[in-house]
Amino acid sequence: MTLPIPAEVEAVLREFRTCEFSTLAADGTPITWPMLPFFRASTGQFMTTTSIGLPDKAFNIRRNARVSLLFSDPTGSGLFDPPAVLVQGDAVAPDVVKTSIGGFENEVMLVYRRQPAGTMYTSNPAMRWFSDWYFMRLEITVTPRRILWWEHGDLSAVPRVVEAIHVG
Amino acid sequence: MWAEIRRHLRDFATPVLTGLDGDGYPFSIRCIPELDEAHGVLRVYLPGWTRIRKGPASLLCHGHNELLWDLRSFMVRGTLEPAGGNNWLFRPTRFVPGIGISGLSGMARFALAKRRTAGRYLQRRGLARPRIDWAQLKTLQARARQPSPPQPESPE
Repeated sequence: MTLPIPAEVEAVLREFRTCEFSTLAADGTPITWPMLPFFRASTGQFMTTTSIGLPDKAFNIRRNARVSLLFSDPTGSGLFDPPAVLVQGDAVAPDVVKTSIGGFENEVMLVYRRQPAGTMYTSNPAMRWFSDWYFMRLEITVTPRRILWWEHGDLSAVPRVVEAIHVG
Repeated sequence: MWAEIRRHLRDFATPVLTGLDGDGYPFSIRCIPELDEAHGVLRVYLPGWTRIRKGPASLLCHGHNELLWDLRSFMVRGTLEPAGGNNWLFRPTRFVPGIGISGLSGMARFALAKRRTAGRYLQRRGLARPRIDWAQLKTLQARARQPSPPQPESPE
C-alpha cells in the first residue's frame, strides 16, 4: 500500500543512509541511536534489524511498541535540498535470531554498496571472530501511524502532517 | 559526565533531541543546545508547534561521511523541562558513549562487550552460538561491487 506522501518525502525514506531511531526504555526515556532503515514501498512499512549484541531496542519494543524514525541527515543520499521527515509508528521485534541472509539479499547488498568499508568486519578470521555477534540479528518492522515533514529540512517551520495511516 | 558532554558536544552542530509527545510516542527534532555551565544543563529552543512534552528525553549526536564511514556517536539521557516561552532545559543524567569517540581501544572494548551480550542472549534461550555463513556474505560483497544498482526493496 502506498503511503499518502509526496514523492520527495518517499525519496528521503528510500535514500537517506541513516535515520535516528527511538524506542522507549523501561523508565519511559526515549532512547535514540542511528540506524539503517529499509523502506518497503509496497507495504508502507520499514524494516530494520539490530544485533543480539545490542538487544535493548528489541527489548524496548517488546515492552512498548511506540517508536519514531527521524530522517534529518542527508549525507551520502545524493538528494539535493531534501525535506526532513519524522515517522512515528508501532514496531514489532520477534524473538527470532537470524543469521541467514535469505530474504534480505537486496538489503545486505545495499548496505555494502552504501558502506563499502564495512567489508573489513569479514576480512580475516580474527575480525570474523571479533564481530560474529554483529551478524546475529533481530528483525524489526515499523508500521507508520503519523508522518511529519519539513520542506528544505527546515525544522523551525511548521511541519506538514499525515495522520492515522492505515498500512501494514 | 558533564566534562564528557562538554568535550564531545562541540563536534556536533545540531544534535537530535527526543522527548515524548502527547500520545506517548517519541518525537525527535534537531536543536542547537547551549551549555549552561553554572547549572549543569543544556538550554534548547524548540519551535512553538512542537509536540514534545515535559519529561524524559535524550540527546543524540552522530555523524558519518558520504560512504557511511567515519561513524561517530554518543547519547545523553536526561529530562526536559520548560523554561519559559519556547525555551527548554535539558537536564542530563547519563552520558552513553557510542561508536567512534573512544579510540581504537574503546572500539575493541565495545566489540568484546557486545560479543558477551550476544552470548548471554543465546544462553538465556538455550541456543547454541550460530555459525555465520561467511562465504555467503563474501558472495554478496562481490555482487555489491558490480556496477548495476540493486533494487532498494526486497520481494515481499
